[in-house]
Amino acid sequence: MKVTRVGWRRYLNGVNFGVVVVILFVMLPIYWLVISSLKQPAALGATPPQFFPNPLSFANYRDAFSTYGFGVYFRNSVVVTIATTILVLFFGSLAGYGLGRLPMRGKSAILITLLIISLFPGIAVVPPLYLLERTIGILNSYQALIVPYTAFNLPFAIWILRNYFQGIPKEMEETGRIDGASPWRIYWSIVLPQALPGLFTAGVFTFTAAWTEFLMALTFNNSNSYRTIPVGIALFGTPFNIPYGTIFAASVVAVIPIGILVFVFRKSVVSGLTAGSVKG
Amino acid sequence: MAVVEVADEPKVDPLAKQKPKANKQFRDRNQIMLARLGWRFTTPALVIVGAITIFPVVFSIVLSLSNVNITGNGFQLQGFTFSNYSLLIHSSEWRYSLGFTVFYTFVTVFIEVVLGTAFAVLMEKLSRGRGPMMALLLLPWSIITVISAELWQYVYQGTYGVLQYLINAAGFGKPVILGTPTPAIIAMMAADIWKTTPFVSVIVLAGLVMLPGDVFEAASVDGCSPWQSFWKITFPLLRPTLSIAVLFRILQAFGVFDLPFVLTSGGPGTSTTSLAILGYKVMFNNLQFGPGSAVAVSATLLVLIGCLLFLRAFRSQVNGGDL
Repeated sequence: MKVTRVGWRRYLNGVNFGVVVVILFVMLPIYWLVISSLKQPAALGATPPQFFPNPLSFANYRDAFSTYGFGVYFRNSVVVTIATTILVLFFGSLAGYGLGRLPMRGKSAILITLLIISLFPGIAVVPPLYLLERTIGILNSYQALIVPYTAFNLPFAIWILRNYFQGIPKEMEETGRIDGASPWRIYWSIVLPQALPGLFTAGVFTFTAAWTEFLMALTFNNSNSYRTIPVGIALFGTPFNIPYGTIFAASVVAVIPIGILVFVFRKSVVSGLTAGSVKG
Repeated sequence: MAVVEVADEPKVDPLAKQKPKANKQFRDRNQIMLARLGWRFTTPALVIVGAITIFPVVFSIVLSLSNVNITGNGFQLQGFTFSNYSLLIHSSEWRYSLGFTVFYTFVTVFIEVVLGTAFAVLMEKLSRGRGPMMALLLLPWSIITVISAELWQYVYQGTYGVLQYLINAAGFGKPVILGTPTPAIIAMMAADIWKTTPFVSVIVLAGLVMLPGDVFEAASVDGCSPWQSFWKITFPLLRPTLSIAVLFRILQAFGVFDLPFVLTSGGPGTSTTSLAILGYKVMFNNLQFGPGSAVAVSATLLVLIGCLLFLRAFRSQVNGGDL
């Protein structure tokens, strides 16, 4: 027999209990990250550890920017990530339109090749790219990262956008063509606006990938003035003195933009993650 | 699944289904014009991808078959040789890394898929607040791996780490977590499971939401227990989604680099040295690009073979052949 619970007790059930477990699973480490960034530097090594920061201190945030130059890393990450995202969306939407809409031969071969390329592990392409960039002398520059990031994020973006373009009704495009609009104009003012959700999805994925990439950033841009956030954070301090407070303050600052982006565009992210199983 | 869509490709020719508006000749001309336009739109992206991804992979293979000398601001290739690969096969470090990477991939992917599916089934039962929960689950996925590695390093830290404090407070002594091989491997896996299980659960949840509801109603009318209806209905219907999640994860786990690089530097000793870490160390610490490329090529070949085998084994599921 079903018992009807009243008041707060009706929220006591297995599902809600499980959900609380999931929330704790995700949030406890993040809680630890945030409170550790707010502890006084001396309190970070306290035993027993402080479970609430006492007193609250913003010294780590100040240190991250003033002593450790986190502002430079942040700026580098912003430049590289935004440039990459714009380039990927530009070239990716053009190619996605061609492969999704226009009667080209050999489309399947191109799409399968793109899929296989996205399977390559980073370590396979880093050594030759490093030697190449070293030889032409562009190590430690913005383009050292923007160019490879664009190339490696294009295949996924092309796939996503191609699926979107395929799902858009053709009538308006044909009307435009009959009215004598140039192909570029048809693409720019008729097709592209309808593919906006696809652009969001491809954009969020590219942004996240460029913001979090580590291996190439570590090998190509080792000089302090061109380090991105992940490399900067990984190389804070020395092996004998790791300034966790500063690291976590910088981490919180690095998580905020991506956290907001993912929260706002969560539907786009989900549709990108399931792009393989759902026809766009 | 994406792979399947490609097979249908010829059918979605945009003009094929359309009724001819003018004579055939005009249509052919129009087709040719549009195809040319397609190539003009597609070529820039293909050139970028080809130059920056396919060329390096081919070049990696060349490097792995050469004696590479690093010079002042360039490099020299001398002769064709298999010595890099024979070095690899006779090296106990490479064999250990290979074994470790395969083991790590199996264990983490298995736990993440089981746990992620459990999370997803739970979320699906939630009547309200599923949107914010999705956003919450995406948070660990969007965090830079380096940051989560630093965070876990602090948690596992030997003198003031909170985990050691809790284990000690619970009366299990003071284990040296990152300083002993087995605990370090488990610790690394736990960090990965924390970051990636929510990602898997988001994919599975999106798959669950799309399942037809009437099947479950029928099952519950027929007296199926929730457990039965999960194994007999949900699981088979979910297999295409699960296969994709597994494929994604195998690829990422097999190339694992950021996490051990920061958390353990591949140590203690070489106990958490994945193939990617080994390749990196050989190339950038020892400047041996020949053997390093051989490590990288071996990792690429193995992950491609693994994915192909997986796709072959689960092809019917990926095709939705079960449905």
